[in-house]
Amino acid sequence: MEGARGLYICGMLFTILSQSMYIITPRITSEITDTFIVNENAVANLETRPDYLIGLLIAMVGFTLLRGALEYGSTMMYEHSSQSMIYKIRNVVFKNIEDQDAKFYDYYRTGDIMTRISGDLDMVRHSIAWILRAVLECVVMFIASLIFFFSIDWLMALCLSGLTPVILLITVTFRKKVSPKYRVQREKLSDLNTRAEENISGNRVVKAFAREDYEIERFDELSRGFRDASKDAAFTWLRFFPFLEACASSLSVVMLVCGGLFVIFGRLTFGEYIAFSGLVWTMSNPMRQLGNVVNDWQRFTASANKIIEIYYGRSRIATREDAVDMPRRFKGKVEFDKVTLKFDGETIIDDVSFTVEPGETVAVMGETGAGKTLLTELIPRIYDVSSGAVRVDGVDVRMLRLDQLRGNIGVATQDVFLFSDTIDGNISYGDTEMPEEDVAKVAELADADGFVRKLSDGYDTIVGERGVGLSGGQKQRISLARALAVKPAILILDDTTSAVDLETEKHIQHSLKNLDFGCTKIIVAQRISTAMYADKIIVLKDGKILEQGSHKELIARNGYYKEVYDLQR
Amino acid sequence: MARNKYDIDETLETPFDVRHLKRSLKYAAKYKGKIIAAMLLSTLAAIIGLLSPIIVKNAVDNYMDGKEDIPMLLLSGAGVLACIIVSVAFTKKRAKLMTEVGQNIVYDIRRDLFEHMQLLSFDFYDSRPHGKILTRIINYINSIADLMTNGLINFVLEIFNLLFITVFMFIVCWQLALVTLCGLPVYLGVMLFIKNHQRKAWQSVSNKSSNLSAYQHENIVGAKIAQIFVREEENEEIHDRLAKAYRKSWIRAVSFSNLVWPSTDIISITVQATIYAVGLFAFRGTLSLGTILAMTDYTARFWQPLMNLSNLMNTVINAVAYLERIFELMDEPVSVHDIEGAEEMPPIRGDVHFENVTFSYEEGITVLENLSFDVKAGQSIALVGPTGAGKTTIVNLISRFYDLNGGTVRIDESDISKMTLRSLRSQMGIMLQDSFIFSGTLLDNIRYGRLDATLEECRAACRIVGIDDYIMSQKDGYNTVVNERGGGLSQGQKQLIAFARTIVSDPKILVLDEATSSIDAKTERYLQNGLNHLLKGRTSFIIAHRLSTIRSCDRIMYVSDKGITEAGTHDELMAKKGDYYKLYTAQSF
Repeated sequence: MEGARGLYICGMLFTILSQSMYIITPRITSEITDTFIVNENAVANLETRPDYLIGLLIAMVGFTLLRGALEYGSTMMYEHSSQSMIYKIRNVVFKNIEDQDAKFYDYYRTGDIMTRISGDLDMVRHSIAWILRAVLECVVMFIASLIFFFSIDWLMALCLSGLTPVILLITVTFRKKVSPKYRVQREKLSDLNTRAEENISGNRVVKAFAREDYEIERFDELSRGFRDASKDAAFTWLRFFPFLEACASSLSVVMLVCGGLFVIFGRLTFGEYIAFSGLVWTMSNPMRQLGNVVNDWQRFTASANKIIEIYYGRSRIATREDAVDMPRRFKGKVEFDKVTLKFDGETIIDDVSFTVEPGETVAVMGETGAGKTLLTELIPRIYDVSSGAVRVDGVDVRMLRLDQLRGNIGVATQDVFLFSDTIDGNISYGDTEMPEEDVAKVAELADADGFVRKLSDGYDTIVGERGVGLSGGQKQRISLARALAVKPAILILDDTTSAVDLETEKHIQHSLKNLDFGCTKIIVAQRISTAMYADKIIVLKDGKILEQGSHKELIARNGYYKEVYDLQR
Repeated sequence: MARNKYDIDETLETPFDVRHLKRSLKYAAKYKGKIIAAMLLSTLAAIIGLLSPIIVKNAVDNYMDGKEDIPMLLLSGAGVLACIIVSVAFTKKRAKLMTEVGQNIVYDIRRDLFEHMQLLSFDFYDSRPHGKILTRIINYINSIADLMTNGLINFVLEIFNLLFITVFMFIVCWQLALVTLCGLPVYLGVMLFIKNHQRKAWQSVSNKSSNLSAYQHENIVGAKIAQIFVREEENEEIHDRLAKAYRKSWIRAVSFSNLVWPSTDIISITVQATIYAVGLFAFRGTLSLGTILAMTDYTARFWQPLMNLSNLMNTVINAVAYLERIFELMDEPVSVHDIEGAEEMPPIRGDVHFENVTFSYEEGITVLENLSFDVKAGQSIALVGPTGAGKTTIVNLISRFYDLNGGTVRIDESDISKMTLRSLRSQMGIMLQDSFIFSGTLLDNIRYGRLDATLEECRAACRIVGIDDYIMSQKDGYNTVVNERGGGLSQGQKQLIAFARTIVSDPKILVLDEATSSIDAKTERYLQNGLNHLLKGRTSFIIAHRLSTIRSCDRIMYVSDKGITEAGTHDELMAKKGDYYKLYTAQSF
């Protein structure tokens, strides 16, 4: 909370000040009543000292103004400090999410992360702005009144505080009972969020199968679950609330009976009794509040834990401290040295070794699920190898700075993800400074310029998330342009032309061959027409290299490649 | 909601009006009984709550003089205790009722909103960040829960309270009552001023929070791209900007909201001071002591409900900023919907007729113009041609994902625009370019199109597409849980599963839109054999670039910017030496 701490403490001081000022207005009114209304000389006083009355009235208004200002000031200080704290947390959490490795995303569902950075974060803000303040007010008021009471009569004070342990006991039991309920409620919210998120993202599939009713049913079930969990948590609070409320209210009974007895037995004067009973609320109110505070506090912890998890979560794939600094443009040599990749004990890539010289083109082929995509993802360290090493320009990628490594690699992924931004913004994603004519130039290389210009707003057309609204081939071409825009030393094309027509593919192949910057290309392909011009073709099967060599060599080998070649001829 | 991205505020066309509140009252009306019961309970609790001060006052005045008073003192204590217990019990019951009502209303609104969302067509989802839709259905609706739980009932109670006290004041001394009421216009003026600013400020908060969510959502989903393009720093800056904008709008909004309480307080105290001044100076001695005391007491009490109402107004204005967004989405026109008197699509045989079909996604840019063709039941049709020529559009029109600008699409004898969407689409099997996999088990995903499909049927479909072996090799087989978007599966495997999903739904008309683009040639050949068997007796439309997939179709249509320029069998088109011939020879090597 650094930076905001001063403000927060200031707000707390203001609170204490304004709270104590609540006593002043009643003091003034009682003075007015005593002097000008119930006094025997009331009428005379009014005649002789009208200034005093006016003065009192002005003071009354004046103090209220001051109190109002203080209160407003303190509230705004809380708002400011809680907002700036949340703002900081939000940025840190966002940064953390951005930096997380692929494993994180395989584990956390989008809806769940969204719950954390929206609902949970807001709960934390609420706590900082209000709960801590309520605690402060409670404690200050309770202690002050306790001191005041003990100073008048210790036995009476003891009688009044007799209920405190009972209230504490109830609160502790309540805390234990309610805390799992809030955790459940939170989980249900996260489930609901996930379901809604998938329904929105998968809306095409839902419609294609006319499964709207089924979706409604599934959502409804979770929505009901969330509702019931919310009710359950609220009802738990309501189970304890009557006891707390009754205890707090019973103080007036204790006051009446014990106080009355003390008066009768002469221990207390009547005036002292009035003083006590006039301030009983300063004790009962904090007691009443305690339950509320604990209730909110439980919700806060349920949420805070979820945020802390992400706040302190660190990506396993990060720049090492002893990383080699290579600020220059990479040459583009890529080596796989006995690379093995395992997920949960299952071997995905098995002892793969090959070398790509700068400027060369390598095609990776193989059956569905053979590990082609994962193989390419080891180069920009989307995943880290389990054993062996991937080297770029002779340096193990794990020893390179992540920003420098990835800055030298351009990737067009298989599952095209475009941002809901303009086409221009999407293409220049890796280099925002890019002038518009350069954007058009790389678009031309990817054969996207033509269709983009035909759109209503050209390059300024906003495409929806995932580029919906564009055809598959169009999306792939924009994704390719985006990868080319960074002028990478290593270009990875993961089945980037699968949905484009053949003429376009020819155009793209031609562009790739004539790039005006040196570039090593690693191309995952299904089509022989894409692979055949590569310097080297690698065929993967179950994570192992089955065949490698040039087009001619592999045809001569009469293996998998030849088989596919015959199929596609 | 118009076409939108994360940093564009959505302007709201509708001005503030009570309609939003009225509309939410409609949701409340369903729970009339409970709400009325809760109100009665509150009133009773309040009345009983008033009893105990009277008992206490009586006891203090009469039962504290000597030992003989002890029994009465104890009795009074017991009386107060009883009052407390009854009042607390009522309060609890009321709170329980209202929690029930509030949560149910929230649930009802959410259900209605979700149901409406299911009706909205592609263009809605295509034109705005998904995060913005998500915040509405989740966070915004949660934000109004508080209003629904307590706001409603408190509002009514406070109004009653206010009327009650006003009447009392007038009975005691109408002149001073009028003085008190003089404060009212000032109060209303101040509130109106605050309200105007406050409303805009809270609208801005909801806008900024929506923008922030949209950006966060997109970055979670697209995190890999961000990392690959080393965009972390820039994205953090953008996020920072959005978070700052949100914080600023929030602070601005609360700077108005928090004014409400102190200003009401100040007005209240000023009016009380005026009462003293007027009472003492103007009525100099003509007013009884009791009257002045009573009046100052009532004035204080008069302002209490007003203060509570002001606070309530904060909640209301805050909630309305969200409510109007919720209702806006609920009112989002459904562009493709069942026409009035739509009929059930009879079981499809499979004839498809396009008659002078004209279509454009956006005004002025015609994608299809006067397109006509006929397909006979059972035929397999391949659509080939350059990307963006409208192949996907054609197949989308068969399922009526969009409505035409001109002409008709008929299946068998029925104009599909006159049929119910459900009956039409449930007979179609469409495999899209984006093979979206839901989180859940593989089996759930495969039987998504037909929930009563047995495991055996699902396995049969998977055998056709050749993924059965892979699934069976997983530890949990068909019960393997996949993450959202099918994380853990390769793109090709996802396509195969989406393929199996389509097969299981047993469609009368099958549409394969780039269904095999990510599948390797060998697997595809294998799949082709199963497919040929499957296609028998079904009309099918296949969009593919790989000519090996296309060759065996009954009819090939070449779609270019100018519409369908060539149509015929592979051999016919090859002999023609036109566009298809060019395309085909381009692929051979």
